Amino acid sequence: MGILAGNRRRRWRAEHAETADPRQQVSQKLWILRLVVLAAFAALTIQLGRLQLVQGSHFQQRAALNQLRIEPVIPSRGGIYDRNGVAVVANVPGFSAAIVAADIPEGSDDQIAKGLEGLLGVPALETALRIEAARKSKDPFAPVIIKDGLDQAAAFHLREQLPMLPGVQVVVDPVRRYLAGDVLSDVLGYTGRVDEEDFVTLKDRGYVASDRIGKAGVEATYERYLRGVVGRKEIEKDATGRELRTLGEDPAKPGNDLVLSIDLDLQKKATEMVQAASDGGQAAAIVMDVHTGEVLALVSLPMYDNNIFSGKIDEAKLQQYLDDPKKPLVNHALSEQYAPGSIFKQITGAAALQEGVAVPSTTITSNGYINIPNQYDPSVIYTFKDWRTLGTLNFYGGVAMSSDVYFYYLSGGYHAYGQNFDGLGVERLARYARQFGLGRRTGIDIAGEADGNIPDTAWKKATFGDDWFLGDTYNMGIGQGFVAATPIQMIRVTAAVANGGTLLTPRVVREVRDAQQHVIVPAAPKIEGNVGVSPANLAILRDAMTQAVSWGSANLASLPDLKIAGKTGTAEFGPRFADGSYETHAWFSGFAPADDPQVAVTVFLERGVGATNAAPLGAKILDYYYHRSKQQTDAGAPAPVGVTP
Amino acid sequence: MNLRNTPTREFDFILLLSALGLTTYGALLIYSGSLTTYGSPSQALSHPVSRQIVFAAVGLGAMLVLSRFDYRAFGPLSLTLYAVSIAALLFVLVVGASAYGSRRWIVIFGTQVQPSEIAKVAAVIMLAKYFSDNEENMQSLRVFLTSMAIAAVPAALVLVEPDLGSALVFGVMWLGMILIAGVRPAHLIGLFAATLALTPLAVVFAQNYQRDRIDIWLDPNKDPLGTGFNILQAEISIGSGGWFGKGFTHGSQTQLDYLRTQTTDYIFSVGAEELGFIGAMILFGLFIALLFRCLRVAGLADDAFGRLIAVGVMVFILFQVFVNIGVNIRLVPVTGVPLPLVSQGGSSLITVLASLGILQSILGHRRKRGRRI
Repeated sequence: MGILAGNRRRRWRAEHAETADPRQQVSQKLWILRLVVLAAFAALTIQLGRLQLVQGSHFQQRAALNQLRIEPVIPSRGGIYDRNGVAVVANVPGFSAAIVAADIPEGSDDQIAKGLEGLLGVPALETALRIEAARKSKDPFAPVIIKDGLDQAAAFHLREQLPMLPGVQVVVDPVRRYLAGDVLSDVLGYTGRVDEEDFVTLKDRGYVASDRIGKAGVEATYERYLRGVVGRKEIEKDATGRELRTLGEDPAKPGNDLVLSIDLDLQKKATEMVQAASDGGQAAAIVMDVHTGEVLALVSLPMYDNNIFSGKIDEAKLQQYLDDPKKPLVNHALSEQYAPGSIFKQITGAAALQEGVAVPSTTITSNGYINIPNQYDPSVIYTFKDWRTLGTLNFYGGVAMSSDVYFYYLSGGYHAYGQNFDGLGVERLARYARQFGLGRRTGIDIAGEADGNIPDTAWKKATFGDDWFLGDTYNMGIGQGFVAATPIQMIRVTAAVANGGTLLTPRVVREVRDAQQHVIVPAAPKIEGNVGVSPANLAILRDAMTQAVSWGSANLASLPDLKIAGKTGTAEFGPRFADGSYETHAWFSGFAPADDPQVAVTVFLERGVGATNAAPLGAKILDYYYHRSKQQTDAGAPAPVGVTP
Repeated sequence: MNLRNTPTREFDFILLLSALGLTTYGALLIYSGSLTTYGSPSQALSHPVSRQIVFAAVGLGAMLVLSRFDYRAFGPLSLTLYAVSIAALLFVLVVGASAYGSRRWIVIFGTQVQPSEIAKVAAVIMLAKYFSDNEENMQSLRVFLTSMAIAAVPAALVLVEPDLGSALVFGVMWLGMILIAGVRPAHLIGLFAATLALTPLAVVFAQNYQRDRIDIWLDPNKDPLGTGFNILQAEISIGSGGWFGKGFTHGSQTQLDYLRTQTTDYIFSVGAEELGFIGAMILFGLFIALLFRCLRVAGLADDAFGRLIAVGVMVFILFQVFVNIGVNIRLVPVTGVPLPLVSQGGSSLITVLASLGILQSILGHRRKRGRRI
């Protein structure tokens, strides 16, 4: 059966092979090929129709997005002027080389990297790695700075080579040139490139990766005013990132200008004077308007050059600053805290008057020291020294001669050897110190302030696990021991004494103006509160401080034609020498004119004596402030004042 | 006079016109696609359009000459032609000029010549000759394997250049021709089964760049600025063309250089962007006319030799059109083959026009049906 069927099939096939016209067979196959042709084009047409007709509008959008890039227009940063309108900063063009990874043609990374190595000296490997990283990043269109701080010639040369380096850009962005030199660095601060970590949050506020931002000083504090409002520019670009034309622009709004309260001339002069008076160590001086809190001069030594942060950071110089034990990058007027010494007596004195611990006629005798017996073992005697045997003094004399014994009584009282004088005690003294703004930041518009320290019983327990002793109160009463304050805190104390008790927030920026010079933030004193001492009592203290200058310990601050009131301070610090003495900080904190106070001055010298070093320096600064027009006329031009200690 | 021995002298003007139409279409797109590099056509002879016109003229000349030349003379010449083309392929591998990591060119008198284009025609003639000599023997395995080897040798040589696209052209050409010549279905089924069995091996041994191409084809967003760039940008160009396109020389993608190799492999994207779906349909119409006229030649041919040449030429044009446009519209993984008659490049243009000349000769040198004059 099977064999039969097979034979039959074979025969059938043979018959058909003979009968079928080969030409007809071919023509059938050719028809199949025609169908294949039509099927192939049908498939192509269907897919093409899907792309062009079904998804056409989607791809039209994609094509539009391809050519259009919305790029931020970085506003020009606001200017900064001193209180008399002198410009202290300029925006100058800064050049840098950047790459835009998305615009670098595939496979030409190495060629670009080598090209940049030849032109800029940036290692090709480093550039190639950064291109690679940028390409993988979320925004490959963002320019990545390859070399910062190109000089103009190098930038122009690179720009000529750009046609051969697709994806490379010369970024021109304004950098800050600080015009006043080092003297304003601590006030102005500087700007720098946005840090990668910060950029995560800054991006939403209109910053770009290659942007600059205020990093220190008022540049940082007033960033939101100086920055301006970022604009947007719609530009058409080709595939290599060449800008073809600008289609639309929402212009950037330039930053606002700052008017400093600083008086540049006074700032320069005060700096010279402090430099001359200092032994080269740390020093600070502040001049402040006692009614407004406006800082007229703020000196911190040693200084640094804030221009090293503009454009490319001068690494060598920066390292030198960082290695310097005198910490030039630290603002010594507000970021470092020191024992205030006897200028703290302003607070002890005011508190004693206000609390009725003393009246102007309260007399205390200084034999050069006081002894107090140990409260458990009276045979153990502690001695607290005065700086000199000063005899019997009333309140004015106590302040004027800066008698430590007088202030031991006021602060801690004296209950021994038949005497019974009630002092303020630590808690009341600490409260007044805080009312005068110590132990916390003043809120000055420069970042980086130190808190200072006002101790009390609880603080000592928490910090050292130890009880508070009477001796601690004595030390505190004369601004030693655990008390620490910054110069800016201390000038606020003196200003409050001078103005009748108003605690002001110091400011270095007077007002903010927009680019058309309309005032946006007007000059107005910022009042933090009242020190809680009656004007009458503060008047007594002012009298006492006037006497300190006219005949007392601050006598070297007296001037023939300007009535100055002030208090000196000589604060021990560091390890004790073999003879029992210490190195001392020199302070002077005062104001003038004594009977109608306008400005306060606080000077601090890391090493020195208040009466002989700080007081005359403070007076010189006040003298210059009040008499400079006369001095300038006298000398023809403001000549550096030769200062002899 | 014996009419049976007089050539018909028929010349297919529709075939010529469709070829000319496609060449013109191509020249226009090359012009538009090179505006970014060549500002105006005034850069005379170096301009790609001028060069393309010169190549077209040479190709048309070859077409006319070959149409008067009896194609039967290629029979005895076929082995020599084939051997020369193989030698040229070997030569290009040894001393060829390298471009983009592959060696495809040799330079003759300052002109780049791509031997693989000539080898395609030589292989068509060689296969046509072999099949027509073995017309009675088509069922034998020996003919099946020998013919496969004829196609495989040049295919292997271009594959190592590497040029996968051209290698596939040889295979498809062979397949189309053997189907027309008459193949035993069992042989094809066997070949198909063997290919399936070897596929896993091919996947293992495929070069990384080929595997990457498939990956990127499936998801170009994996590397939108690198290897996926062309795929994505071609898709955007074509899709954004819509019905009528953005207008000649007004394609934003083309004119802003978002397309790469836009006068060769991606020339279809230029047309689809600037002339739209309608423009693409005109192109398809021209190709369909051309291919149908080739098949008409196959149908009218006097003998198996002529018929198979016509089929071979038709298949290699169709396959390249399909793959090239397929790559552009992301129907096919990226494979570099030119769009016949349209893409910039002399070797391909001249070869195709010359092949059409042979087809004209097949039409014009018929003897049996000469009465139709």
